[in-house]
Amino acid sequence: MAEPYAEAAALATGLAADAAAGWDLAGELPRAVLRELGVKGVLCAQVPPDHGGLGLSSVDNGELTAHVGTLCGSLRSVLTSQGMAAWAVQRLGTARQRAAHLTALTGGALAGVAFSEPGAGSDLAAMETTLTVEGDEVVVDGAKVWVTVGAYADLLVVIGKLAGQAGCVVVPADAPGVRVTRVPDPLGCRAAGHADVRFDRVRLPADALLGGTALPLGMLVTTVLTYGRISVAWGCAGMLRTCLAEAARHVSARRQGGVALSEHQLVRRHLAGLYVAERSATLACARASRCWDEGDPDLGGAAVLAKHVAATGAAAGAATAVQLLGSAGARDGHPVARAYRDAKLMEIIEGSNEISELVLAEEALRTWA
Amino acid sequence: MSTTTNREPVTADAVRADLLAFLEQRTKQAVDPDLDLFASGLVSSMFAMELVVHLESAFGLTIGGPDLKLDHFRTVTAMTALVLRLRETADG
Repeated sequence: MAEPYAEAAALATGLAADAAAGWDLAGELPRAVLRELGVKGVLCAQVPPDHGGLGLSSVDNGELTAHVGTLCGSLRSVLTSQGMAAWAVQRLGTARQRAAHLTALTGGALAGVAFSEPGAGSDLAAMETTLTVEGDEVVVDGAKVWVTVGAYADLLVVIGKLAGQAGCVVVPADAPGVRVTRVPDPLGCRAAGHADVRFDRVRLPADALLGGTALPLGMLVTTVLTYGRISVAWGCAGMLRTCLAEAARHVSARRQGGVALSEHQLVRRHLAGLYVAERSATLACARASRCWDEGDPDLGGAAVLAKHVAATGAAAGAATAVQLLGSAGARDGHPVARAYRDAKLMEIIEGSNEISELVLAEEALRTWA
Repeated sequence: MSTTTNREPVTADAVRADLLAFLEQRTKQAVDPDLDLFASGLVSSMFAMELVVHLESAFGLTIGGPDLKLDHFRTVTAMTALVLRLRETADG
């Protein structure tokens, strides 16, 4: 196998395959692991080589993300977060900002992206965090919740209101006025370092504001989230692959009523459902990534479709896998138990099922009405 | 310099015609070049991103940083000016 992501995938396997269960139980990813993957460009693998990245296409980075997703949902969340931060910088930043931040993100620095607020989850228009340009400084004031990687982050990419619209600012996590509080007991992706972050009139050089400009909030969020949606979708495809492998092996080996579980028709139906979920997720992801790589304007809708197919498929598929494994998979740390908890979160983040359905219904009306 | 069709000179008329056709295909209605696409409610957040992706792939551009601002996408006329300016910068 000489895929462009093979080396990165092998590195992730070496670091995570035997350790992921322990990371889940401890709720912590080792910094050394994050650093090693970071400096090798694995965490944001689409960053171009001239900024220290691997320069992978979306399709190849997707397969890498799915691979990491087969190993560890928490680590895969770090890839999503770091990749989304890098994409925000790449898309919104000036040449100078790209050089500075992308080099940091491929040099071991870790980044979280801060969207949600206590009063603004799916309704991001209710966002209250403000970015205010005062002379040659920008002041960040507000509170964000559930920032993935927040507890490990060196940089926080923060979306806030700016001049009647919205902007995006890169905040060093150690800047005066930043307070990071870890979410102590997340349901899933337990080691992904979810944190609530307060910004108490944090003053930064105006150059921290990406592109120095404001965009409509919806356009800004859609632009940044599209990367996250594709990444989450591939991660869910990976989760499904693990569930499929665990389930297929178990039902082939385990005997009940004198025959292998796989000889029972009801078990086969479950297995078929898992297979359909994994294949559909992979196909939808591949299409979204091809739109990304080819500059196809259908990208936005394709990303939402992939995210929705993959997240709902993974949540249902992981529940099926736990059912098939029975007591064998019913312990925390077990791959299907982790997938069961992690997949449920994937139905909530990067656009909940319901928000995705609203977007997809809009597409349906636009195409078919 | 690349010799792909994307880098051949384009005229304002050609850019305008392409954008009007794209908008008509997506919104199923004819659009005036000076219509405020956002104020009119014709362009959703999702569609705005699609417009950016379309401009980039149709005209071989990268629209990033300070150019990614609402005023550049508000009307077909504004987008046409943006495309011509960015192509000139890229060629220069």
